[in-house]
Amino acid sequence: MISHRLSAPSAPERVVLFGASGFIGKAIRAKLRAEAIDVLGVTSAEIDLVSPASVDRIAGMLKPEDAVVMLSALTPDKGRDTATLMKNLAMMQHLCAAVEQAGCAHFVYFSSDAVYDSAIARVSEAVPASPQDLYGTMHRTREIIAHGIKAPLLVLRPTLVYGAGDTHNAYGPNRFRRMAQKDGRITLFGGGEELRDHVHVDDVAALTLRCLLHRSAGTLNVATGVSTSFRKVAKLVAQGFDGPVGIVETPRANPVTHRHYDVTNLIKVFPDFRFIPLADGIARCHRESTGAA
Amino acid sequence: MTRPVIGFAGMTHLGLVSGVSAAEKGFTLVCFDPDAERIATLRKGELPVSEPQLDELVRKNAAHLQFTADPAELKACDVIYVAPDVATDDLGQSDLGVINTLLDAVFKAARPDTVLVILSQVPPGFTRSRQREGRVLYYQVETLIFGRAVERALYPERYIVGCADPAQPLPPPFRTFLEAHDCPILQMRYESAELAKISINMCLVASVSTANTLAELCEKIGADWSEIVPALKLDRRIGQYSYLAPGLGIAGGNLERDLATVCRFADEFGTDANMVRAWIANSRHRRDWALRTLHREILSKVADPVIAVLGLAYKQDTHSVKNSPSIALLSGLLPFQVRLFDPVVPASAAPNPRRTGAANELDACEGADVLVVMTPWGQFRSLDPAAIAARLRGKTVLDPYAVFDGPACRKAGLEYHTLGVAA
Repeated sequence: MISHRLSAPSAPERVVLFGASGFIGKAIRAKLRAEAIDVLGVTSAEIDLVSPASVDRIAGMLKPEDAVVMLSALTPDKGRDTATLMKNLAMMQHLCAAVEQAGCAHFVYFSSDAVYDSAIARVSEAVPASPQDLYGTMHRTREIIAHGIKAPLLVLRPTLVYGAGDTHNAYGPNRFRRMAQKDGRITLFGGGEELRDHVHVDDVAALTLRCLLHRSAGTLNVATGVSTSFRKVAKLVAQGFDGPVGIVETPRANPVTHRHYDVTNLIKVFPDFRFIPLADGIARCHRESTGAA
Repeated sequence: MTRPVIGFAGMTHLGLVSGVSAAEKGFTLVCFDPDAERIATLRKGELPVSEPQLDELVRKNAAHLQFTADPAELKACDVIYVAPDVATDDLGQSDLGVINTLLDAVFKAARPDTVLVILSQVPPGFTRSRQREGRVLYYQVETLIFGRAVERALYPERYIVGCADPAQPLPPPFRTFLEAHDCPILQMRYESAELAKISINMCLVASVSTANTLAELCEKIGADWSEIVPALKLDRRIGQYSYLAPGLGIAGGNLERDLATVCRFADEFGTDANMVRAWIANSRHRRDWALRTLHREILSKVADPVIAVLGLAYKQDTHSVKNSPSIALLSGLLPFQVRLFDPVVPASAAPNPRRTGAANELDACEGADVLVVMTPWGQFRSLDPAAIAARLRGKTVLDPYAVFDGPACRKAGLEYHTLGVAA
């Protein structure tokens, strides 16, 4: 559950965004700029957070009135090993050391739903974090590190995020679209029975903006509350193509698991927030990817 | 033996109802409370609680019902019940300060041979820890139900009496009083009786939680919980009086107190209370049914909706809004226009800046996108669904307590949502 430090929305003096060139970072930067909020995007090309030398550089850049948004991470496609874990932790260690020196007015850490046990079918913020792999362990550890920061801390735990700009190739809407485009068919694991919650990247950005405006603190899952089977997702993706797209089932290697989100807490803090329905979001991705009007 | 004189100490809900009911059974009563102002009010016939028959019985038995703030009057009593209401905090923890103070006062004021009986709800171990050398102390389980308190006190199902030594017979004055109620008397050790009270409530919570869990599943898979309930009640292992009505979680304070007590003791002694914690979590989950349904049906679809809410009180026939599900819901609807009506609670009780107090039920519906019935006041049942449909701008009705007739609402063109069945 989160609480608002500012009941009336007020733009932060400046937002410093680490991981600004990533999939979600780009969407947040665009959203903030659209709202005329001063945003300083920091990319890994500019500052290597893995390096201890980054501490002084960041500390020299930050101002106490800044809101800091931390998105930088080596994602699983860059490595799932212990070395990647340690690099990710070093990044958080250095950023937090810099924030401790310079101060900030609000700290937003982008965690992940990987902090939850994947066997749990219904998740709310009350479910204890119990990561099952190094990636989830990394995010959970970073959350705990962030609790040492002397500023209102918001931890956001997004579930499966999709959008046209997604560079990852995780199983879901983005991969399905690429499969359909390249091969004319979408291959499912088993029959695609698994139910998952998919959130559009623009909704992630819009919620982040709201949290920044209210200087929200606490932990919030970023999910829509509506879970859809991968089979249905595949069908929605296929509908965007003019020609026929086959949906191919494969022998099931793993048991079916489902994941639902109880988003009551999100509704309570942002009752007027309206998520992009999955069908609309997938159609939007298709338009943006193909350059269609 | 001559009929004993009975005392009740603590003139809040439990003590007042129990004392007045004892007077109705023909006993002479001394009703004591150290709060002189409270006693003065009672002497004027003004009762601080509302229960069916209570006012009538106070008037009828005035000749042998003495209200006093003077502890010396307790000297006349052969049996004294110590029965103040024990308040709880937001975590369900009991504040035992009031009963401790009152028990001390009664020990000092009573004759040494007077039987003292703790009637308030106390945690296991409390009674034995308060026993004093040479004094006669018992614990008796209360099973007060709000709105049926007098009936329950006059016609108890059984008495559960906690004793220092359950093998010893009850003192004659105490036994005479209990036997006047013509029901089984179960003697057991203090701790068993204290835990029996909690056990009763845990069984009720188990039933309610089962009903809520399965009612939610009904809403998803096309079943109707109201069709299932009669089948369960005809099963002798479940029973016709079982608590199977779905609701918006557990409320009222007493059940939450026992849930918290069981968790606290389980933590202290290392026993398993995961099931109890699951009941608590389920209760919190169902409490927000209206908000989730409203978000799914209206807030996520309609820009700047107008929401009509009938009922602000925490339950029907009261002006209290403490722990009111309606107020909790409205707290989550601050950005929206709300049109409110409650028979006794003014709209100003709601925290919403964009609220409008309506003159009546149908006025509240005027131009609204959705109607939500959050308190099951009896007068709401007579509303005509067609008249509601004519006033609403939208068609959606949320009626968790099934105040309206679902088929009649659908016939009137309304999209009707209630607990335990899909819309």
